[in-house]
Amino acid sequence: MVDQREFRDEELVALCKQGQGEYFDLLVRRYMEKAFHIAFDFTRNSETAKDLSQDAFLRAFSNIRQFDGRSSFYTWFYRILVNLCLDHARRKGRVVWESLDSLNETPGEQPQLADTSFQPEQEAIAGEAKRRADKTLETMPKKQRTAFLLRNHQGLSIADIAKVMKTTEGTVRVYLHRAVAALRQSLVEFV
Amino acid sequence: MTSNVPFETACKRFEEDLVLYYYGETSETERRPIEQHLSGCQSCQRFVDDLRRLLPQMAKSEEFPPSFWDAYYDETVAKLAKQRERKYWWRDLLTPMRVWMLPAFGTVAIAVLAVGLVLSKGNLPSFTDTSPKNFPLETLSDAKQLEFFESMDMLESLSKLEEQDDQKPEPNQSSNLRFVAANA
Repeated sequence: MVDQREFRDEELVALCKQGQGEYFDLLVRRYMEKAFHIAFDFTRNSETAKDLSQDAFLRAFSNIRQFDGRSSFYTWFYRILVNLCLDHARRKGRVVWESLDSLNETPGEQPQLADTSFQPEQEAIAGEAKRRADKTLETMPKKQRTAFLLRNHQGLSIADIAKVMKTTEGTVRVYLHRAVAALRQSLVEFV
Repeated sequence: MTSNVPFETACKRFEEDLVLYYYGETSETERRPIEQHLSGCQSCQRFVDDLRRLLPQMAKSEEFPPSFWDAYYDETVAKLAKQRERKYWWRDLLTPMRVWMLPAFGTVAIAVLAVGLVLSKGNLPSFTDTSPKNFPLETLSDAKQLEFFESMDMLESLSKLEEQDDQKPEPNQSSNLRFVAANA
């Protein structure tokens, strides 16, 4: 039975390395939602997202001894997950993105926009803009999309994204800017 | 102020900085000139406002009920348990054995072996002893049969030699005849 007291990631990893693999379950509990959502952002399919994120946990566990602690556990884990997502995208070709609008169609779950004076007509424009944005993300170079998703959707810092993507922070800044610029470009007709 | 358009064109020189500014990825020294510029540039202000309005909407994820996460967790943990089982299968063999028990088991095994050797001293069969008494009866009878066949072979060979000898003329006899003729 796993001790339920609060462990830091490094402590859990150390316990796993000592052969107490059941402590890895706590890392699953801690990161499963983030892991699933990032896989979902990449694949737009909940079943595939579940499979990929679970596969990432299994791989992280079986390679836990190779984790040297130079980065945080979640950065190391995200790298495994993102690579799995990118491999999956490579194998499957282009990802069919569902419109983000479909996520907001549940009654009573309308997005809370920053501006409460937003009118239905404006919402329609924003909805169309989002559909276009989805399309842009679908066709965007994968490094730009990865940087954008990790920052915009997962809230990772640029420093962490650089570690996940094994590149420099400057490169991530460029990717992020280009992604946002491409989104703006795709929405120019709405201007 | 809210615009009807999703994005407003920003000053090219500041566009990258504004994206980073929106994400809070600018240092204190970088932030000051950006904010200074923003205070005097309406289009850059609108650009940042549009980012604030639209980008969080893009990040909105599908909501899943707690039961989904419980099932997800249970499934993942079950897969991990199966993987651990495969990875540490050898542990099951040693489960009842603790680390301190290993030398104890070794000592006991050596002691038993030593006692066994002492008790059976002089009674141990020698591996080099091939006297017939140590062979089973079955083997002995087989060996006798073998000897019989070998002797039969030898007899056969002897009889063949005799036959050959009979066919050949006696060399000494002919030379003796020649000697007698010469003397005569």
